[in-house]
Amino acid sequence: MHDDLFSPTIREQRAPGRPPWRPESIVYPAFFGGPLAAATLGVLNGRRLALPTSRLLLIAVAGLAGFGARVVVGAFSDGSSPVRLAGTATGLLVWLVVLALQRGPFRLAALRGHGPARLIGPGFAAAIGCGLLEAVLLLVLVR
Amino acid sequence: MNAALHHAQALLATGRPEQALSELSALPANEVTGSYAMQLRCAALSQLDRWAEVGDAARAGLGANGPDPDLLLWLGRSEHEAGRDQVAERVFLDGLALAPNDVDLLCAYADLCASDGQLDKAGKLVELAAARAPQAPVVYATRIQLAHARGDNREAQRISREFVGVHPENPVAHALLGGTSAARGQVDAAYEGFRQAAAARPTEQVFAESAMELRVARHPLMLPLRPILRFGAVKTWLTAVLLVIGLRAAGLPVLAGLLGFAWLAFCVYSWVVPPLVRKRVLRGWR
Repeated sequence: MHDDLFSPTIREQRAPGRPPWRPESIVYPAFFGGPLAAATLGVLNGRRLALPTSRLLLIAVAGLAGFGARVVVGAFSDGSSPVRLAGTATGLLVWLVVLALQRGPFRLAALRGHGPARLIGPGFAAAIGCGLLEAVLLLVLVR
Repeated sequence: MNAALHHAQALLATGRPEQALSELSALPANEVTGSYAMQLRCAALSQLDRWAEVGDAARAGLGANGPDPDLLLWLGRSEHEAGRDQVAERVFLDGLALAPNDVDLLCAYADLCASDGQLDKAGKLVELAAARAPQAPVVYATRIQLAHARGDNREAQRISREFVGVHPENPVAHALLGGTSAARGQVDAAYEGFRQAAAARPTEQVFAESAMELRVARHPLMLPLRPILRFGAVKTWLTAVLLVIGLRAAGLPVLAGLLGFAWLAFCVYSWVVPPLVRKRVLRGWR
């Protein structure tokens, strides 16, 4: 019965690239920047964690869907406050998708002594850059 | 056993690898490459984190003594440490072919599989080891590592408590209880674990550094951050945001705005204060 336990199964390791960010930390740029910031960082971190392309696509789709939801809210409401709130809420939802896909892989990377990298710089860049991008797009699309 | 080997072993057990190495190099020429002397050399070098030399010593020992499961264990560990996981696997399997019930080899192979993401296989291997020696420190340590890799922090802490109960003198047991408590946000229990580990083995840098990190976490200025540590980022963030949205939906936009602003201030606090506290505590430490 131990034959399968005692036969080799270790796969070729990819050379470790850049260390990943802690998926939990992406909550800050997701909260302040919105769904596109969360998805951008999620996809970049997914590449660092060597996730399969289908998972990366799922994160990207979640980000676009979140932004789509914001546009819909903007089209059917008055004032800027509901749109802002929708940005926060959808940002957090995208973060939950990222978290669900990356928590396990991140733990394994940490077990191999790989990561976490500092998210402060990229986090601010994503929150401000994607936040502004969303604001401009909303202005063009809805107002 | 030769008195010098005994002495080297005792030095290792109390965390003095450098003295153990000089004791070993003073052995007579015919004993210096003996299997047990080489195992002690590997253990000493591993405590000093000189893993490339661990591999060299294990190879030299294998060259002098022929196939030997204990030396294969050290060779495999050094290959794993160097990131050559497939080579490490072959070495461990060679060792297990000689000694299929060797608890250390089973646990080392389980560790390797876990770091490759094969958690099920790792679990089966450590179960085999646990059936042979349920209370061996290496079995406890590997089970804790595995529970942690699965994300089951509660189980990891439970096994650590059992480990400390069975081996209260073992500094690694206390350090693991400290680490698993920290993972659950129990800062005081975590500090206590690393403090005891550092007290039992003052030469181990990692224990002292972890205890110091937890002194930072226990600082009064860090008290407001405890909910995030204790309940995790997901629960605290969702609670805060749902409260803001709920208050707004309940027709209390001013209260919702105030809470939102307080949360913003809390976020800034959680970025700015920890590095400052760390600096302050470190200054007091040195």
